[in-house]
Amino acid sequence: MLEIAQFGAGRIGQIHAANIAATKDARLRYIVDVNADVARKLAQRYGARVAAERDALADREVGAALIASSTDTHARLAIAAARAGKAIFCEKPIDLSLSKVDSCLHEVEKAGVPMFVGFNRRFDPSFSALKARVDAGEIGAVEQVVISSRDPGPPPLAYIKVSGGMFRDMTIHDFDMARWLLGEEPVEVFAMGECLVDRRIGAAGDIDSAMVLLRTASDRMCHINNSRRAAYGYDQRIEVFGAGGMLRAENLGATTVEHFGPRGTVADRPLDFFLERYADAYRAEMSAFVRALTQKTPMPVGAKDGRQALVLAEAALQSHKKKQAIRIG
Amino acid sequence: MVNFALFGAGRIGRMHAENLAQRSDARLVYVVDTKPEAARALAERLGARQAGVEEALSDPQVHAVLIASSTGSHADLSIAAARAGKAIFCEKPVDLTLAKVDVCIREVRKARVPMFVGFNRRFDPSFRDLKKRLDAGVIGRLEQVIITNRDPGLPELRFLASSGGLFLDFTIHDFDMARWLLGEEPVEVFAWGAVLVDPRVRTEGKDIDTAMLLLRTASGKMCHINNTRRAVYGYDQRIEVLGAKGMLRAANLAPTSVERSDAEATCADNPWPNFQTRYAAAYAAELSSFIRSFEKRQPVEVGPEDSRQVLVLAAAALKSSQTGRPVRLK
Repeated sequence: MLEIAQFGAGRIGQIHAANIAATKDARLRYIVDVNADVARKLAQRYGARVAAERDALADREVGAALIASSTDTHARLAIAAARAGKAIFCEKPIDLSLSKVDSCLHEVEKAGVPMFVGFNRRFDPSFSALKARVDAGEIGAVEQVVISSRDPGPPPLAYIKVSGGMFRDMTIHDFDMARWLLGEEPVEVFAMGECLVDRRIGAAGDIDSAMVLLRTASDRMCHINNSRRAAYGYDQRIEVFGAGGMLRAENLGATTVEHFGPRGTVADRPLDFFLERYADAYRAEMSAFVRALTQKTPMPVGAKDGRQALVLAEAALQSHKKKQAIRIG
Repeated sequence: MVNFALFGAGRIGRMHAENLAQRSDARLVYVVDTKPEAARALAERLGARQAGVEEALSDPQVHAVLIASSTGSHADLSIAAARAGKAIFCEKPVDLTLAKVDVCIREVRKARVPMFVGFNRRFDPSFRDLKKRLDAGVIGRLEQVIITNRDPGLPELRFLASSGGLFLDFTIHDFDMARWLLGEEPVEVFAWGAVLVDPRVRTEGKDIDTAMLLLRTASGKMCHINNTRRAVYGYDQRIEVLGAKGMLRAANLAPTSVERSDAEATCADNPWPNFQTRYAAAYAAELSSFIRSFEKRQPVEVGPEDSRQVLVLAAAALKSSQTGRPVRLK
């Protein structure tokens, strides 16, 4: 039985706690959060205890640390967990600065503990089936990838200001999907960013709309399009085009009911946001993490993936600012 | 009744001739082709006459010319038709060089004849409806456009070498759709081209077969275009526009809507296999548009200036793909 100390009892922490509870080989032992009330409530719900960071990490029974606290604490907690010899599940991103990510990776490597980075989309049943079929050669060599990733609405301005910018905060997921689906590292990035949704986002120094192109050494290409606001919901689609055909994963609605009326046929809008759309993915990533630990197999998505996605995000930001293509590596 | 002289009895010329033959408001009078036998065969089948360029253009009964000959002859024939006072329907592109397009535009203006350029996709019922709804404000202010344009298979390598290249020959349609949908001129073009389908495209065709592009307008609207010369599942023609209040999409069309479900999976028809089948309605509709504007003496819906603008975009894309840098346009 894997005993887990969880850091962060907020929105995403609550999801992870529920998923740990549903995983038969793992148990939630501690909840650590700066907000004692929230920590207590969550701990009680799943039969865990509230603890201080140091105590949670000092407990020899704890096999893994789950880091779902605010982004600026991820790296520090991951390093502390590594030094305590704990396996690490870290929410994305590891950090917004590459140098901090690098020092974290260095410590984790030194400690020799496994580290999983929560790029949940890889575990979405549709996307992971699509990837498995790409890997099985169903469409031959991959030539083009198109990723549509649009949020239903912009986050609060206060969040935008500390988010690290859209490329690091939002597109980072798409960069991970792109790397994963292309099957090769992108070597070049070109990005156009715009503020089209809300001027206040621009005034805060960020963008809310973007189109990005990535290219690998063998000329596989990927397009990513982003918006902070899609009036029709959380738009999450993937298309992979290969020599032997195309694989697509469409949006999911809450139901498959269609209404046929005098003015047209109406289906459900896409599931509203990431907690709903990726509920299965969050469950599956937790299982994958626990499975890798209990079976001592490599982590399916690790710290280096977290780093590479950030490298692409920074290149995109640079490309957007300098209005030129940026080479990687 | 509008009387037509058709130039070019090849694949696309035959299709236009058949569309003309089905109309009650138009008549095909002459067919002109560098291969007289081909012209004669088509003319006889549709009750017209084979003729030379001079003869067709000097007949006062001819109101309009339909130019569907090889690309290199479009501009010269258009100029000759303009000087003869004929209305012009010209297949895209007017020419592959800006200089020649400019001369053609000047001559056509001087002659005060209408000239229509066959950017057929604007007349596809689905794309047209999408554009109409976009203009009606159904999705609010436009922000993003995504155009997927993939050919079913490589053309002959010999053709590629003389085609002007992927951006001029193929993406040109997407540039026109982009301008049309964006409602603003792109001011920035970024393009990547590659050879992924067949290495002979590079060695023998001196061309590329795969591309991804981004365009941007002055107000920050963005457009993505993706191209390949080979989609094994058919002719992939899709459009998606995102606005402040929603999205409009036009998906592929298939010959039938039949789905087969068995123990393994559910299968639907592939998209129409080629442009002739996919855009059959569009070709008929563009002819209607031309004839309507001619009869009502209204401006044509797509003119040589549009053809010129897409040429500018294609040249910018080529330059971008060669330099690895975005190209800015005035």
